[in-house]
Amino acid sequence: MGEEMGRWAEPGLLVLTSLAGGPKHGYAITTDITEQAGVTLGPGTLYAALQRLEERGLIEGLPAEGRRRPYRLTAAGAAELTGQAQRMRRLAALSLERLRLRPA
Amino acid sequence: MSGDLRLVRALVGCYPPTWRHRYGEEYAQLLCDMQVHRRPRLVVDSLLGAVRAHGGALMSGDSPLALPVWSAALFTAAGIGFAKLTEDFSRIAATARITMVIASAMALLALATAAAPVAAVLVRGRAGGAWRCLVVPLAAVALWYAVIRIVGHAVPTGPNIAAFAVIAVAGLGVLAATAWAATRISRQVPVAGSDRLRTVAVTAMAVGMAGATISALVWGLRVRTVDAAVFDGGQGLVATPFIPSWIAVLSVLCAATVLSGIAARRLLTDA
Repeated sequence: MGEEMGRWAEPGLLVLTSLAGGPKHGYAITTDITEQAGVTLGPGTLYAALQRLEERGLIEGLPAEGRRRPYRLTAAGAAELTGQAQRMRRLAALSLERLRLRPA
Repeated sequence: MSGDLRLVRALVGCYPPTWRHRYGEEYAQLLCDMQVHRRPRLVVDSLLGAVRAHGGALMSGDSPLALPVWSAALFTAAGIGFAKLTEDFSRIAATARITMVIASAMALLALATAAAPVAAVLVRGRAGGAWRCLVVPLAAVALWYAVIRIVGHAVPTGPNIAAFAVIAVAGLGVLAATAWAATRISRQVPVAGSDRLRTVAVTAMAVGMAGATISALVWGLRVRTVDAAVFDGGQGLVATPFIPSWIAVLSVLCAATVLSGIAARRLLTDA
């Protein structure tokens, strides 16, 4: 996703991570991301990410509840997030390993 | 209506119509939930999102001619600037200047070829109400003419930078209005003509623009070599020094070339 999403890689990943916990509408996504990751996504940034993720079939909109529309992760989105998380885990492990080996 | 709601509506209104149709309601609710009226940073973020959405709409494939048309508008503006810049130095680097003119003619002819099927549909009256968009550039030209008349009467004698700038800005408005109308029409007549013809024409347009850009670059470098006094002098656009004028023209030519190159690449990829 990193290359495909370009500059939206980080907001896109944050949104996928938030939706991995269950369907949410826009405001619930921003609140969740702020609480869990300490990052506040602005409305323009959030909807740019939602639009791109939806166009790539990684998330899908559910029927609107009033004026709020929840989104959920698709199977492709779950697979993408799994791949990203595994890559990040490998990178984190490698970084920690090399930092441990680094001479003082 | 409260000021908060007005702000929300204004922010949603900044997005393109297709985007609003899909996300407008829920986005307005999000802006209300985030209390955007109390957080200027979020207002800025929303405005930037709208700019990106407009860029996305322009870049999107809903009309394969949208990007070529806007790149041609930019190119035309730069071409007029180049003609203005070179009019006093017609004997310096004449070959590069003529090459620039030929490459520009090739680019604009290629655009006309790409747009010909759409124009044919329009002329035959099979484009529904799309022909109404033609009113926009005609009105823009009429306004531009009015500006010239008013400015001409206000400043009857001698060169006047402000008057020239007003006429130039009004002229850019005519180009923008024409490009907007052409984009609207091409969106309403999306399937006219063969894909192959369009791909070849837009590719030729990109090549022509690249040739024109290189010629403009060579022309400036030749002026520098042949007559350094002119190159370092103050006979640029709107009484600015020559070098910034030349660089500005080159930059706009480059931007137009890049946009047309993106359009050509997209059509070649889809082919």
